[in-house]
Amino acid sequence: MLRILRRLEGPQTIGRGPAFWAAFGLVLAAAAAYPWLVDGYTVGNTAYFFCWVFMALGLCLIWGYGGALSFGQTAFFGLSGYAYGVLTLNVGAAYGFTLVAVALAVALSALMALLLGYFLFFGRIGGVFLGIITLSVTLVMERFMAQTAGPEWRIGAARLNGYNGMSGMPPLTLPWPGGDLVLFPDVALYYALLGLLAVTYLALRILVNARFGNVLVAIRENPERAEMLGYDVRRYQLGAFVIGSALAGLSGTLYTAWGQYITPSSMGLTAAALPVIWVAVGGRGDLTATLVGTLAVLGGFQALTIYGSQYALVVMGLLLVVAVLTAPEGFVVALLRALGRAWPGRRRGAPAP
Amino acid sequence: MAFLNLAFAFLYQLGDAFSFLVLAACGLAVVFGMMGVINLAHGELIMCGAYVTVATTRAGLPLPLGILSGALVAGAVGMLLERLVIRHLYGRPLDTIVATWGISLVATQGTLILLGSSMPGVGTPLGSFAVGSYSYSAYRVVLMLAAILVLVGLYAVFNATRFGTLARATIQVPHMAEALGVDTRAIYALTFGIGAALAGLTGGLYAPTMTIVPTMGTTFIMEAFVTVVVGGADIFLGTAPAALVLGAVRALLTSWQGQLFGQIGLLVTVILVIRVLPSGISGLILRERA
Amino acid sequence: MPTPFQHGSRLAALAGALILASPAARAADPIKLGVLEDQSGDFAVATIGKVHGIQLAADEINAGGGIAGRKLELVIYDTQSDNTRYQEFMRRVLQRDKVNVVFAGFSSASREAYRPIVDQLDGFAFYNNQYEGGVCDGHMVVTGAVPEQQFSTLIPWMMEKFGKKVYTIAADYNFGQISAEWVRNIVKENGGEMVGEEFIPLGVSQFSQTIQNIQKAKPDILMTLLVGTAQASYYEQAAAANLKIPMGSSVNVGQGYEHKRFQPPSLANMYVTTNYIEEVDTPSSKAFLAKWKAKFPNEPYVNQEAENSYHAVYLYKQMVERASGSTKRADLRKVIAAGDVCVDAPEGKVCIDPKSQHASHTIYLAKVDEKHAISFPKTWDDIKPYWLGQAGCDLTKKDPMAQYTPSNPPPKP
Repeated sequence: MLRILRRLEGPQTIGRGPAFWAAFGLVLAAAAAYPWLVDGYTVGNTAYFFCWVFMALGLCLIWGYGGALSFGQTAFFGLSGYAYGVLTLNVGAAYGFTLVAVALAVALSALMALLLGYFLFFGRIGGVFLGIITLSVTLVMERFMAQTAGPEWRIGAARLNGYNGMSGMPPLTLPWPGGDLVLFPDVALYYALLGLLAVTYLALRILVNARFGNVLVAIRENPERAEMLGYDVRRYQLGAFVIGSALAGLSGTLYTAWGQYITPSSMGLTAAALPVIWVAVGGRGDLTATLVGTLAVLGGFQALTIYGSQYALVVMGLLLVVAVLTAPEGFVVALLRALGRAWPGRRRGAPAP
Repeated sequence: MAFLNLAFAFLYQLGDAFSFLVLAACGLAVVFGMMGVINLAHGELIMCGAYVTVATTRAGLPLPLGILSGALVAGAVGMLLERLVIRHLYGRPLDTIVATWGISLVATQGTLILLGSSMPGVGTPLGSFAVGSYSYSAYRVVLMLAAILVLVGLYAVFNATRFGTLARATIQVPHMAEALGVDTRAIYALTFGIGAALAGLTGGLYAPTMTIVPTMGTTFIMEAFVTVVVGGADIFLGTAPAALVLGAVRALLTSWQGQLFGQIGLLVTVILVIRVLPSGISGLILRERA
Repeated sequence: MPTPFQHGSRLAALAGALILASPAARAADPIKLGVLEDQSGDFAVATIGKVHGIQLAADEINAGGGIAGRKLELVIYDTQSDNTRYQEFMRRVLQRDKVNVVFAGFSSASREAYRPIVDQLDGFAFYNNQYEGGVCDGHMVVTGAVPEQQFSTLIPWMMEKFGKKVYTIAADYNFGQISAEWVRNIVKENGGEMVGEEFIPLGVSQFSQTIQNIQKAKPDILMTLLVGTAQASYYEQAAAANLKIPMGSSVNVGQGYEHKRFQPPSLANMYVTTNYIEEVDTPSSKAFLAKWKAKFPNEPYVNQEAENSYHAVYLYKQMVERASGSTKRADLRKVIAAGDVCVDAPEGKVCIDPKSQHASHTIYLAKVDEKHAISFPKTWDDIKPYWLGQAGCDLTKKDPMAQYTPSNPPPKP
């Protein structure tokens, strides 16, 4: 047990030592106190941002650590979202079935990732081509779902409903003594997602600092060398792809339950590019950077849209260009580096450049 | 006679799909196929060419000159982008995705703010002709010829001129070329500029047949990437056969089952081709040759 | 993301709510109207005018003393033609801005994206857009035209004039598929024949094959139910191929003003039923257009959705005033249930049908000629949105909060 916990810090993640974990605890405490400081809308909106972070963390694992850029994580997002809808519309929300539906939907995504990943990695497809195939997959799914408007497209009681999207599925429901607890986008959902996010983040930290993560990074740095050392490159990449895609699926189910709605455009070109941007802007090489970066980009872009009127998209575009040019490893990583320089005691925490 | 009419109808559709794929992809084939830069703003360069063409033509320039000016302006914009952004990202192909995505956002929304939500078109010239019971647009035959001319022209530029030789040398072994006294920065800039100008040319050529709106570039981008990927790294051996294969797949599926199947067929073909031929059609041809 | 101005303690919010609840404070308080429309992205061509229509109506109403003595305040967000923005901002206007009513949505997908949120948070929303019909939801008022209003007028008229063989090309999603279903049914009812149907995925811009398919089928009438700027390229390409079949549409001209945007004669011989376009030649329409041009001199076109958004504000004003100033949804629905919420809009008289909460309209048949000038061969007054009520949706009795289609009608009681 202690050995596993020791993997919470290591060469593959930024941040170690008491200072980092004190800061982590402080942030977690602040996040836990947050709902009591702001209004209901802000809590629900932050919970909504949390929904997307899982997909970003998954892509960080596949791309940042594994070195394989998947441009089609939204395929798994959409698949799980629709699966959640189909399952809950047919079975309902009683006895905490929504949680079972989440688990089944995520498992479905993992299964599809296993099949697609087998096709890709065991076919030795890499680099840009990997991105193009995964993008093609998500676009095929989008186009297909978009034309399922007719009443003949139904699975049990659930109408797929084409481009307009599937709606009417119940939100997440926890079985609770004295009546089920419905997780509408409010404080309850916020805490549930915060807990899930913290666990996922820590689990991924352990994973990448364990043998699996070290081999994955070795493959990213030099696949031939890793292969010569006797590692089956394909298996490790497939493993990362399946875990990352399951996380994208988790995002999909959470988003669907949050808005009680899922649409084919969640798998479209724009939607597919967004996770890549979150991860790239924050810093794809590190989980913490991805986590912070994704939340910052989501919140920043939304604020721009609210206050920037029609210039919002222009400013967003310029920010992306500037981000790539000035902070190649990501804004958050650059910021942490700068902090590390300012405060040498933390410097050991940063991975070797 | 009826059979000939049918054969012409099929050839016309095939040629139409072929020219669209070739023209959509040619600029990207230079930029992505040769330089390895994934330019998500490719569609916006096409849009730029279309806007310039329409604006100059409405101002009184003849359409062919309008199209040419569209290509030139897009080329200049491309070289400027290369100087300001792309140059700093060579060797980081995945970062260019993010940067060019940002550029495309700025271009689309900036055009909307500056020039409004749409622009009146210029109308398709040359009228129509009839074969059997079908009538066809004559301008689309011009597009087919333009596609072939572009392929021939590209081949000539990159294989028969000094610039072409230097460009291919620079892109294959940059430091070697540099050591031999080639101004590699200028070569990169010019190559990117040619890719952008070709995109602008495509925009100009299609401008009379389409709605002129800031988002018009997005209708080209998918087809462009698909063609380049199926074609593989060598634009001359790859792009033309890829466009032919994909054009046939699309024309057949569309006439059989409608546009949805045409589009899905295209994407599935890509997935299969990459799986079977990881370096595209040109990779296969080169391997056969070797 | 906490920004400085978002920090308000829950306690303060509670205290604020208590103050707001006192009647004296309420009378002086403005009525807040949320506006979620696409001012950028794919749909901006057709929807910027909707925001302007609401602003124009709000200015007029405020100059005339507001609604029941209260000023009308607009809270406007740009939804960027993006469904997730609708979800985010619908929550924001209802929870943060606490608006009394929301005017929202262009595409049907965006409406379906925000509708669960309106239902969940018990909001009240106006959808001021022409669409495929069938939304039976007590939280929604629809002021745009629906297929039965546009096709039951257009198709019989065209079949009488041009012949009975009909070919449909339609955008391959809900709007196109359901509209095509309406065309099919009405053609059959009138003794006509469908000689072909083709569905085009959104974003397709090349139509050579489609044009050839149409020529093969030799229809008398071509129904074009194309959506979005990419698909609009069809007209230019069909004209270039010399395809001269009379066209009918429920969505072109009235929404995307293609006759202004394309070079003539690509839209020649097109017949459209719409409840308003700026060429409508009545005194009320001319007066409306003059007011509009005075406030927004650079507006490219005033389309039917812009007019819908404008008169929708007046419909809402009347509801609130007849509910003695209450903005509660239950009170307003009682007013609607009376069945006589009507305003004299620029198009003519518009009334809300209590069963479906959709609007009746004056339907104009617009004909586009070789030079893209518009004439109106026929006008139908007071065309009712009859289908939902006949099919069994009665919001005065039951609120199913669902969308129905002719092949998926409300369950029989």
